[in-house]
Amino acid sequence: MSSDSDFTTEPKEYQHDDDGGPQPEKHCGHGRGGMGEEVARKEDKRFITGRGNYVDDIKKPGMLHCEIVRSPHAHARVENIDGSRAMDLDGVVAVLTADDLLEHDLATMPTLMDDTQDVLVNEKVKFQSQEVAAVIAEDRYTAKDGAEKVKVDYEVLDPVVDAAEALEDDAPLIREELDDQEDNHIFDWDTGDKEATEEAFAEADVTVTEQMEYQRLHPAPIETCGAVADWDPGNDKMTVHMTSQAPHAHRTLFSQVSGIPEHKVRIVSPDVGGGFGNKVPIYPGYVVAAAASYVLERPVKWIEERSENIQTTGFARDYDMTGEIAATEDGVIQGVKVDVLANHGAYNAAAQPSKFPAGFFNIFTGSYDIEAAYGSLTGVFTNTAPGGVAYRCSFRVTEAVYLIERMVKVLADELGVDPAEIRRRNFIPSDAFPYESATGWNYDSGDYEKALDKALEMADYESYREEQKRRIEEDADKLLGIGISSFTEIVGAGPGKQCDIAGIEMFDSADLRVNPTGNAVLRVGVQTQGQGHETTFAQIVAEELGMDVDNIVVEHGDTDTEPYGLGTYGSRSTPVAGAAAAVAARKVRDKAKSIAANELEAAEEDIQWDRQSGEFHVAGAPDRSITITEIAAGAYMNHPGSEEPGLEATNYYDPPEMTYPFGSYIVVVEVDRETGEVDFEKFVAVDDCGNRINPMIIEGQIHGGLAQGIGTAMLEHVTYDDNGNVTGGDFMNYLLPTANEIPNFETGHTVTPSPHHPIGAKGVGESPTVGSPPAIVNAVVDAMSHAGVTHVEMPMTPDRVWESLNEAGLALDPSQNVSFDFEGGQSEGPADD
Amino acid sequence: MTDQREITLTVNGTERTIEVEPRRLLVHAIREDLDMTGTHIGCDTGNCGACTVLRDGEPIKSCMMFATQADGSEIMTVEGMEDLPAAGEDLHPLQEGFHKEHGLQCGYCTPGMLMSGKALLDENPDPDEAEIRDAISGNLCRCTGYQNIVSSIEYAAEKLDEQAAADGGVVAEDGDSDGFDCGVENCCGGPSAETPTPHVEGADPQFDDVTEGSESE
Repeated sequence: MSSDSDFTTEPKEYQHDDDGGPQPEKHCGHGRGGMGEEVARKEDKRFITGRGNYVDDIKKPGMLHCEIVRSPHAHARVENIDGSRAMDLDGVVAVLTADDLLEHDLATMPTLMDDTQDVLVNEKVKFQSQEVAAVIAEDRYTAKDGAEKVKVDYEVLDPVVDAAEALEDDAPLIREELDDQEDNHIFDWDTGDKEATEEAFAEADVTVTEQMEYQRLHPAPIETCGAVADWDPGNDKMTVHMTSQAPHAHRTLFSQVSGIPEHKVRIVSPDVGGGFGNKVPIYPGYVVAAAASYVLERPVKWIEERSENIQTTGFARDYDMTGEIAATEDGVIQGVKVDVLANHGAYNAAAQPSKFPAGFFNIFTGSYDIEAAYGSLTGVFTNTAPGGVAYRCSFRVTEAVYLIERMVKVLADELGVDPAEIRRRNFIPSDAFPYESATGWNYDSGDYEKALDKALEMADYESYREEQKRRIEEDADKLLGIGISSFTEIVGAGPGKQCDIAGIEMFDSADLRVNPTGNAVLRVGVQTQGQGHETTFAQIVAEELGMDVDNIVVEHGDTDTEPYGLGTYGSRSTPVAGAAAAVAARKVRDKAKSIAANELEAAEEDIQWDRQSGEFHVAGAPDRSITITEIAAGAYMNHPGSEEPGLEATNYYDPPEMTYPFGSYIVVVEVDRETGEVDFEKFVAVDDCGNRINPMIIEGQIHGGLAQGIGTAMLEHVTYDDNGNVTGGDFMNYLLPTANEIPNFETGHTVTPSPHHPIGAKGVGESPTVGSPPAIVNAVVDAMSHAGVTHVEMPMTPDRVWESLNEAGLALDPSQNVSFDFEGGQSEGPADD
Repeated sequence: MTDQREITLTVNGTERTIEVEPRRLLVHAIREDLDMTGTHIGCDTGNCGACTVLRDGEPIKSCMMFATQADGSEIMTVEGMEDLPAAGEDLHPLQEGFHKEHGLQCGYCTPGMLMSGKALLDENPDPDEAEIRDAISGNLCRCTGYQNIVSSIEYAAEKLDEQAAADGGVVAEDGDSDGFDCGVENCCGGPSAETPTPHVEGADPQFDDVTEGSESE
């Protein structure tokens, strides 16, 4: 297989030909760490030895610390702020309020959805813990002391936290400062063909409806947000080290907000301890730290506490959805409808391409060939933190997938058809791609039935169905539920014709420089928060240039050195910057051919590159060959007159279309009829993300996303009381799954390459978070569907599950089985001691 | 502002004396006064475990303890792992395990995970999966889904066991020490002990319950 051809459409397993050389242990990218090889991560060493460099690890001479004074009220007018007692403390350098920021025109900042958010509250607090003032002090502890001494007088107003209540006539008006804003309604949005959909429903044999809430979540990376801002008055330059998933976009926004010209702003995103969409928006803390550094001419550090992170930075989801499906009596879906009430919080600060107020929610026809679809959505202000970020998700695709995958299960139960079978009857057939959905998306490729079949086989589906039946017949204490989700994702935002962030098209970039000694540096416009770019992007170059992966360094996250890119979120790094890396490497390869021709004294058109050996040779004379290392030397020491010296290339890649990874997940749960507790018996995930760069890293991503899906389905919820107090705003109350709640996962894959991506890859990081919650809910519902249960809201806490069991007449009376011993409390069976 | 107290910590084998406010958290003393930033902060409420260090061999959350409370104790952080005898010239088997088994992604929880893993293996050299999951259940990871972290610790257990076997003498053949190596020099078969001697209770408090624990297996 010696050719120049690039693999785009043919699935590849990347088997290594036996060339007698050393065989890689597990997989092969020609033995050089190229595509498909399980290369251990190049970035690991600094993390396992305590040498990572996260924002809070940065210490600069003369650095000050910033602590933010936050409102205890959810809705209140600020009458007076008195910072004098704070200023009296030794070590407090400044107390900043909105008035101070107004002097520098920094009192407000734009959100990604063109709303305007107070950096520090100007007149009115709109959600609990909103930023009211900032104390800058010599050290962290003094800054906190100072914050406690700032006296703020509030006129407390009635808050409204529920989206439906916020739309009622007598609801308090949250945003009276906006022109023409007379209520809490933000926008209406709709998609699809309403008339055709109504018609499909009118003619259908059967229709089903279900209301479901995708609760408010928080991405909650283990590292919170933070920044170290450093204004250099000697060079009029602002450097901000910050927890940023999108350093270049943040540079442009920083420049726009501050008025500092963009070439005098440097954003550095050092090691970032998880992002998951939380670190895409700009938050007031970053701006305050920069403003303080500018005013005080000293570096200023701001680091969030966990409660600040959950209570004020971008939440996710919070969609109250009503889904409807129209189908034939055989279960062929003819139409789908959805209506959503979206709680956006106090500002419209969702993080998504600006032409998409509801993100990519209109992908809600999912993996199914549905002719008629219509969706409508209303966005609402409430006295809650602003957000609507894409938490490990491509802009509301998570909500869309949840809706359709839940509704398919509701339909299956209504018709008494097996949930696997009903999916099969409705899948977009594998020969129908490229496929245009009823809501206008152009799916690149897919083979949904293949992934489902593989998952069913791995899960031993039929025998679990039998076991389920047996338990029902025997009236067992623990019921079995089997849940399926056959999701389709939409990632890789995105084509400039459709997608932008604050007006900037969502291309991405790569700059590849090969050094005279034959190693290379790849700089990319995306930024890693754990995804392993330093390894996978090097693998792409290794594959495309025949270099050893160890000879390639990937740099990212510094706007002074990296080419402009839109950052890492929405599973866009591989689909967009990965493509740019491949194209840049191919450009280098093209130039390398002319250097090879010069070195080998042959005509350039006679030079061929062999993917297997990674060498360039003269056509028909494989012995006359040259390696990329030798070519690199030639590029600098003996360059042909026809070419410039040097060996480098840059590519800005504007993807022609989105990519559409997919998969099938099967979850088997045991539901305890006494306690409502849910145990995972089996968790199978079959993913198809096109051609695979590093299977080990893909699997790691799948595991992590599935754990987040379990957190979503079982534990996590940012809750508020009626007064707007956040009652689920720290790790004592916002429950992340621990190792004890997460089962072992069985992963599998199919390979259906993207036809329009240079290496046929699609992106994978979000599939598990998107695809797994409906599989888990479907499983729990499935355990009770024989008794008429159609839905359980997330998070499916034991009390919620028990309520469903009880309403369906399935709950067991705990008093039958539990004995009380008053010394040791409640126990089952004989006492321990 | 407030009075300063002088405290002495032995951090990764080196004695360090610092002056701290009585209210200063141990994690801030480690990160900011001793400049060892491998130990992280993730939640401020003791839930996430990113700040886990070993204090006299016991895993503790260093954001839940004042530095003054740790006065006089031995502290181990991730930065000390490469200097452990088991690390040889390179990485400690736990570090190697996290690398080989892809037990980390963003790396933020990793130092705390390594410390909890170390505490577990010190006490129980051959843990089963449930014991590993339990031992790291005070450490939150948002990236990995834990499965590979479990594998990483299993890898280390195996590697340490191989090392012990290769060291000879460490896997004691007499009944007294029950095959247990507490890791303390010149105690019950630590790596540097030329002649394995029975484990001495109190030689290092972290190992007090170990012999008992290993017998119950």
